[in-house]
Amino acid sequence: MIKKFLYSQKVAPYVFVLPFIAVFIFFWVYPLGSSFGMSFQKIQLGQEASWIGFSNYEKLMGDGVFLKAVTNSAVYMVLTLAILIPFPMLFAVLINNKFMWGRDFFKASFFFPALTSVVVAGTIFRLMFGEMEGSLINSVLGWFGIGPVKFLKGQVTGFVALVSLATWRWTGVNMLYFLAGLKNIPDEYYEAASIDGASPFQKFTRITMPLLKPTTIYVLTISIYAGLAMFIESMMLWNGNNSPKNIGLTIVGYLYRQGIEKNNLGYAAAVGIVLLMITMIINLTQLAFSGMFKKED
Amino acid sequence: MSRDISIKIVLFVLFAGLCALILIPFYAVAIASFKPGEDLIRYGLNLSFDLSVMNLDNFVYLFTGNHAYFTWFFNSLLLTIVQVVLTLLVSATVAYGFSAYEFKGKNFLFICVLLIMMVPFEILLLPLYTLTHNIGLMNSYSAIVLPGIASAATIFFFRQYLRGVPKEMIAAGRVDGASEYGIYLRIILPVMKPSFAAMAILNGMNSWNNFLWPFMVLSDAGKYTLPIGLKTLLTPYGNNYDLLIVGSFFSIIPIFILFVAFQKYFIDGMTAGAVKG
Amino acid sequence: MKQRWFIVFVVMSMTLMLFGCGQSPKSAGGETSVLDAGAGEGATELSYWTFVELHGQHFEKMLGKWNEANQDRQIKLNVTVMPYDDMHNKLSIAVQTGVGAPDIADIELGKFPDFLAGTPQLEPLNDVIDPYRDTIVKSRVDLYSKEGQNYGIPTHVGASVAFYNTELLEQAGVDYKTIVTWEDFKQAGIRVYEETGKYMGTADTSATWQTSMLLAQQGSDFTDESGKPVVNSEPMIKGLTILKDLQDHNVIATIAGGQPDTEEAYGEFNSGNYAAAFMPLWQMSRYTNYMKDLSGKIAIAPIPVIEKGMPRSVGGGGTGTVVTKTAKDVQLAKDFLAFAKLSLDANQEIWNTLGFDPVNMDVWNMQDVTHNPDNQFVQYFQNNPFDVLNEIKDEIQLIKSTSATPTINNVLCTITLNEIFEDGRDIKEALDAAQAQIEQELK
Repeated sequence: MIKKFLYSQKVAPYVFVLPFIAVFIFFWVYPLGSSFGMSFQKIQLGQEASWIGFSNYEKLMGDGVFLKAVTNSAVYMVLTLAILIPFPMLFAVLINNKFMWGRDFFKASFFFPALTSVVVAGTIFRLMFGEMEGSLINSVLGWFGIGPVKFLKGQVTGFVALVSLATWRWTGVNMLYFLAGLKNIPDEYYEAASIDGASPFQKFTRITMPLLKPTTIYVLTISIYAGLAMFIESMMLWNGNNSPKNIGLTIVGYLYRQGIEKNNLGYAAAVGIVLLMITMIINLTQLAFSGMFKKED
Repeated sequence: MSRDISIKIVLFVLFAGLCALILIPFYAVAIASFKPGEDLIRYGLNLSFDLSVMNLDNFVYLFTGNHAYFTWFFNSLLLTIVQVVLTLLVSATVAYGFSAYEFKGKNFLFICVLLIMMVPFEILLLPLYTLTHNIGLMNSYSAIVLPGIASAATIFFFRQYLRGVPKEMIAAGRVDGASEYGIYLRIILPVMKPSFAAMAILNGMNSWNNFLWPFMVLSDAGKYTLPIGLKTLLTPYGNNYDLLIVGSFFSIIPIFILFVAFQKYFIDGMTAGAVKG
Repeated sequence: MKQRWFIVFVVMSMTLMLFGCGQSPKSAGGETSVLDAGAGEGATELSYWTFVELHGQHFEKMLGKWNEANQDRQIKLNVTVMPYDDMHNKLSIAVQTGVGAPDIADIELGKFPDFLAGTPQLEPLNDVIDPYRDTIVKSRVDLYSKEGQNYGIPTHVGASVAFYNTELLEQAGVDYKTIVTWEDFKQAGIRVYEETGKYMGTADTSATWQTSMLLAQQGSDFTDESGKPVVNSEPMIKGLTILKDLQDHNVIATIAGGQPDTEEAYGEFNSGNYAAAFMPLWQMSRYTNYMKDLSGKIAIAPIPVIEKGMPRSVGGGGTGTVVTKTAKDVQLAKDFLAFAKLSLDANQEIWNTLGFDPVNMDVWNMQDVTHNPDNQFVQYFQNNPFDVLNEIKDEIQLIKSTSATPTINNVLCTITLNEIFEDGRDIKEALDAAQAQIEQELK
């Protein structure tokens, strides 16, 4: 009886998606709800919680360090988008070119950095961008007669290190996404364009870019997410969550500082909710603009 | 024809240059792993290739020294394998449910999948932490695997892939008298092989390198994974740079093997599952 | 059909394996090492977290003695070393949730107030401290106390002293013994910079050792009587002005890592790029462990003062070792802790193994212990640290630890000191901003 019920075509789909429903409710809806609730409370681990209305949010609005964290995350996101979408796309097109030698080797070596853990990569970059004369980047600058730079103590130079790290790790991954997208563009389009006498540049702007749009949207979406939620990169680069003058502090870093380091769970929850809103607003706007919803069935 | 050759050369030089830039940090780490850890602190990570200070001591220490590197290594390996296998199986099942059937609430549920792809997992850290604590999963691997077992990105990817699979296959299965689950297990799963390769690599990467959540959940040093373990070496009071650098170098190897082994499927799988407008 | 069951089986076994792994209490390795120190079968296993690897070595020694003397209460110690921030964060969560906390843990002074907030989830240690109370420096115990309850056992006094690289000073023709005031230090430093191109000292941006010293000399503190932060006070401005002036004359300079007790700085010192460090005495062990090239070249002296006659030292840093409420065997942990850190024997070993100035000041006068020619610290340094310690013994000041301390440290060490020494921001302005920031954070 039960078997028959479970095996019916009406019930089967629910059985298939059941794990998702369970995980969704248990690990997303419930925590999200409790996070939302916590953001209206003064709550510390091991102590009584009390409801305090919008106080956490009010405090957040006047919190200079939080503002700094939001700015850092936003700037980081914009910079990574500006680098990690056009360049990987260009590289993908070039590497896909019939004139390319050693394609597989390059593909693999571009992807290679993504295989390192952030812990390892962050440490490597921290050492590379060390302020000593002998550190890698400074020694290279030295060849050009530029004195040692304290990379990780300045806002701009710190971000150079941070964005370099992201570029190094993600160029190859994004390139593979675009390569996959390129594979889905039929060769006939290009052949037809060649017959019409289109230049390679025209082919790129008229055929490649428009047809890569779904891939671009996908990469954009995950990059926005990754940019705004960045934390460990900064933590590893500055060997802790306390960068000088908070130049490397991100929103999630602030959430971690308040929630884990200072045991201000309510305040940290409010930080999380604000982050959620920012992410949602940016991503939904982006998706609306790119017409994603219209095509979704 | 000579124009083609020159394009080839320009392209090759361009990519060789980029490639060199990308590989420099690896080169630096590789060199550093042959030098005493002290030098690293003192002179910074650099490119100087000085045979007089280079030796195999760090590698000898890695394999014979009294440290927990291989405990971390095997913990990571175990966790990665378990996590990848479970995540792929569960996510594929869910994705099949979404792609093969029309059912009430399907659109709503699928929107949920899309939404959680956009919710930064990090904001759930604190409530998940208390939840994990309340259900008694603290300090266990289950707490790491379970929240990600129906991975939204993976479900999304598999569903995209399944859209390319003809519905006739399912219909044919029904005609042959297979049950709904039989169709999935015997007809669909085998077809999904290439996409499994791609997702195995992406999930494997994530799992092998996962840091923040395991770091918060695990408190027993005997259960540490490689990234957590390596991070414990980053203290000024330990003189651990010998192990850190050679260990970092060594940690890349398994995932590299995985990648090289599956590279062909990886690109194919990604292509097949690529987002189509 | 068969295949389906096979897959179900795989999933099930995987899941079981997962839960199995999750719950097995096995703990091997990690940065963990289990010290059995001659413990027999029936020994109780206690876990201990620390952020300084060396502390484990001390416990190992004391454990051997304990197990020999207490056959019926033997202990195995499971030591886990984690980086400073991580250990304190994890410990804080663990003691507050009551899950996963070790039996014994080191908590650094700067973080201690966080653990005292509300109802401390730590065991009061008064009863095991009492037998030793008369022999140890009272103020060091008070640092880890709340409302008359002592929650942590101190490790050392942490008297701050100056460490001079005499080789470098000699090159510049400077005698460190003549340095009494900051003005003397400045003149010497100008000379060192002119002669050698090296800096005399460090301008610390990520620690408040120096700031504390200058405040203590003026009889001041980061907090007022009631424990409220006052980081923009006159003494504070005066102290930082002196340091800034030193920086402007190339006497001191910022250092990689931001202060002498970082791995980057060890490298800089080891290479002879800075001639002096003003640090609590425990910096000695950093020299012997991480700056081997300087062996035989470092002399210890009192730190300079603003005006002659001012107190020349302040207790700096410190680690309170605690027993958590969830400890397996609270009494055993407490007894062992007192034995391992407060007994006369322990105090001698704290000097022998760790190179710290023990809280039992009687040890300071035991010539055979302090001047033992086999001691690595005696061998490393040019003069004997206890000669200096005994000279400044009555001048060692105290910087209070209050609930505001962690916030004060955080703001000064991440923002303010960087602004002053890296960006040249006006001192008063920077300190006013710091005060405002601290008040806002404590609201």
